[in-house]
Amino acid sequence: MSAGFLTVIEAGSTQVTDLGRTRGPRYGVPVGGALDQRSARIANILTGNPDGAPLLEIMAMDVEFVADTDILIALAGAEASLLVGGTRRPNEQPVSVRAGETIEIRRIAGGLRAYLAIRGSLDVPRLLGSCAPDSVLGFGGRLIAGQRIPLRRATPPIVNEHFGAELYRLNVPPRPDATTVDATDGPDIADFANTAARLYGEPYVVSPTSNHIGLRMTGVLPERQVQGEVLSRGVPVGAVEVPPGTELLVLHRGRGVTAGYPVLAVVTTASLDVLAQARPGQTLRFRRVSEAYASERARAERAALDALRLRVQSVFTALDAFPTSFGRTLS
Amino acid sequence: MSATIAVSGNAALRVSSTLADREAGWRLVHHLARFIDDARVPGIACVIPTYDAALIEIDPVEASLERVRSYVESVLERIDVGRPLTETPRLFDVPVLYDLDGELDLAMIAEAQGLRPTEIVRLHSEPTYVVRCLGAPGGSPMLDGPAFPAPVPRLSSPRASVPQGVVSVAGRQATITPAAAPGGWPLIGRTPLVLLDLDAEPFVPYEPGDLIRFHAIERDEYDALLGTRMVAA
Repeated sequence: MSAGFLTVIEAGSTQVTDLGRTRGPRYGVPVGGALDQRSARIANILTGNPDGAPLLEIMAMDVEFVADTDILIALAGAEASLLVGGTRRPNEQPVSVRAGETIEIRRIAGGLRAYLAIRGSLDVPRLLGSCAPDSVLGFGGRLIAGQRIPLRRATPPIVNEHFGAELYRLNVPPRPDATTVDATDGPDIADFANTAARLYGEPYVVSPTSNHIGLRMTGVLPERQVQGEVLSRGVPVGAVEVPPGTELLVLHRGRGVTAGYPVLAVVTTASLDVLAQARPGQTLRFRRVSEAYASERARAERAALDALRLRVQSVFTALDAFPTSFGRTLS
Repeated sequence: MSATIAVSGNAALRVSSTLADREAGWRLVHHLARFIDDARVPGIACVIPTYDAALIEIDPVEASLERVRSYVESVLERIDVGRPLTETPRLFDVPVLYDLDGELDLAMIAEAQGLRPTEIVRLHSEPTYVVRCLGAPGGSPMLDGPAFPAPVPRLSSPRASVPQGVVSVAGRQATITPAAAPGGWPLIGRTPLVLLDLDAEPFVPYEPGDLIRFHAIERDEYDALLGTRMVAA
């Protein structure tokens, strides 16, 4: 028995996802999941959900939903206008929505993907422990107008309508610089000899054919200097390859887990979130960093999210202390 | 040391066998993967074993590359590469409608090898193949290639979508495609069998160490078998 339903009015290009299918790669299935992992975690944290709870990944296009029960939502990721019942509400804050009020996300800009989490999350099918769509397996997929997604929990509007905006500041850590992509040297960099340095010296422009499998980029390409067949082997998410043709390929979370191309470089875990927000036509530059630096940065980012989770928990604990009528009388 | 370990970004290590014996190298990386899977090491997200390498993916927040590297080194020392991967491998018989009508890439492959298409079919359906690993897309059974004179070049421009059930070769490798996906491997035929079952875990019926044999069928047999689930003999 679900707590209610979220109905899709305008679907845009949206799917239900989570942090990915970590049991997949062992069986030849990509990990998938939210391309901007950090923003997906933030949206879930702001609603008090576990980081890996199912949520909506909204790509570039306007969307509109309505729930038949009171819910608490949070929007993170790309900049966008969040409208609840036609009124502008803040991003990166918990926002109460009453039954029947429309939730609109419009003008996604300064990025490509926004993440909408709902307190209690969504009741959706899972495969190998994850709801992340897999286009190859034919699991999950884009939402369509009229679709009803079961909600796992209703949340009465426990605070006034300025929830989040005036009572406190949650201080969501800012998004990193959106034009610099950190990468470490790949295990096969020697195959590219002195042309490898081009990766870190030249600008690259994101192609429109980019997707969750990988980003394609045009620019002055490094060239493989050795010939010969490479046996298929596991390729990491973030692998930078130079396949035949005129584009650089940076594999993302939807990548086929095995391939036979040499790995020139590997984008850091933190910069994969930057790539998730890169729009076609955007110019990016790669910056060479060490694995130690990249891991340190990953730990620092996660620590910032841990701190955010603690702040959200204390706010929710404090608000739960109020009688629920408190919010209702104020608003 | 039986393998080299190369850092592959801040969240992965690539372990490559250095053993002269390919079979032993393959067993090494698969035993390694199974050991790590069973040990459920915190911070290790997954292991992807292939022909002669295993990619170990970690959560860089929970584990450090240095620690995982020394852990892997200690595991490698304890692996008995003589031990078979599977005590009783299962055998899968796979009927194939070979591309003798020129619909796919068989003619091109034959020409590049300097052989007649029927020779290609004979060489492909002769051996009993070992499933080396599960690969992309969708848990494809990755096999050693048939005894062609030369490696098979990949297509210069990959197909946007290759249907499920297609049987393909590339380099010194061969496979069957369980699910429709883009692909750059030349196609030599198609099987009517269905490999994928999303209600099962894993989704495909074979595992590394199992055996696969191909045999040629005619169009009417293909039509009659279309949609049959792939099961062990």
